[in-house]
Amino acid sequence: MNQFGFEFNISIAEIILHVFSKNTIELEAGYIPFLADNEPKADIQVECFKGLPTSNLESLKLLFEAKNDEQRFYSIYETSEGLCFAIYNQQTKDEIQQIAYLNKSFDYWKIYSRDAISLKYPMGPIIMHYLTLYTDAVLMHASCAYDGKMGRMFSGFSGAGKSTMSMIWSKAGAQIVNDDRLVIRNINGNFYVYNTPMYYADISKKAPLNAIYLISHSPLNKAKKLSGALAVSKVMAFCIQNNFDKAFIDKRLEFFYKLSQATSIYDLGFVPDQQVVTYITENEKQG
Amino acid sequence: MDIQTLSQIKSKFVARQVADELVIVPLSGNVAQMNELFTLNETGKFIWENATANNTNASLAQLMIETFEIDESTATSDIEIFLKQMDILTKYNS
Repeated sequence: MNQFGFEFNISIAEIILHVFSKNTIELEAGYIPFLADNEPKADIQVECFKGLPTSNLESLKLLFEAKNDEQRFYSIYETSEGLCFAIYNQQTKDEIQQIAYLNKSFDYWKIYSRDAISLKYPMGPIIMHYLTLYTDAVLMHASCAYDGKMGRMFSGFSGAGKSTMSMIWSKAGAQIVNDDRLVIRNINGNFYVYNTPMYYADISKKAPLNAIYLISHSPLNKAKKLSGALAVSKVMAFCIQNNFDKAFIDKRLEFFYKLSQATSIYDLGFVPDQQVVTYITENEKQG
Repeated sequence: MDIQTLSQIKSKFVARQVADELVIVPLSGNVAQMNELFTLNETGKFIWENATANNTNASLAQLMIETFEIDESTATSDIEIFLKQMDILTKYNS
């Protein structure tokens, strides 16, 4: 953990967050490479407070619950100014570790924390998700390899081979943008992939996005190009999303529609060895 | 599922046309359902868009006969098959 200070900027997917507090803010190692100095103007303000506010969550309308059978991650409530997030301690399940407020234009956060680690999991990824609603972007469960010419994103269910595919492309000399979580941005009709701060330190990376592969293990390498509604829905299924608001879904659908028009999308069954690199590049040449 | 139930369930989804097809995404307050998306082909899209509280299977079949120039048994069968497939969406009607 790094005692970082009272005020700093972080650049995630070229969106600048100004993080500030009256108290010292501690940063996990993964954020350090994303620190951005001397940026003229931040896009998003993140004001951090030590200690939880006295808030009556029961009086607010519950919009969304991120939980499964084992864990409760966070709840989202509606307020007159925007959204309120109750973030739970991942060890004790029901103890609230943070309360956060986000305004309606998604550009001002107030984060109240029991400790000084304001961006600790899952607060950090929640901020990243709402960054994508602030601009024309999405947050994906995916890996991405950039060989200097083509950026290829690989997505699939847990265990489908995202990390394996990253290792294969890394051995082939490609740069791995990340093997788990990525932001895709649409900048004037061009799509780019960015890594985001993880629990480990890695430099900030950006690559063009040219092809998307929805992967699964298979006895042989076989790619099938997807188009239309199927391409849109199959890629969107791996987007990190809070679908309690119609406007959020409309925005996502529009994004993935444009993405499907601008990139090639494939279902790919693959054998986990180096030959898949040749298979993919040859398959792309054939269109 | 019947037409009336489908017409009620539609408000729980956001739909977007892609070429002749439709992508439908559930409005959900549950993280477990946030990655469930569905695609409807041209016939499914037509039935989805015309499933209203005032329509019946028979009136919808008549609409399909006029639009797609198909016979009555094909239209009826298409509607029945589609509605059966839409049973998967009943969990959103709560």
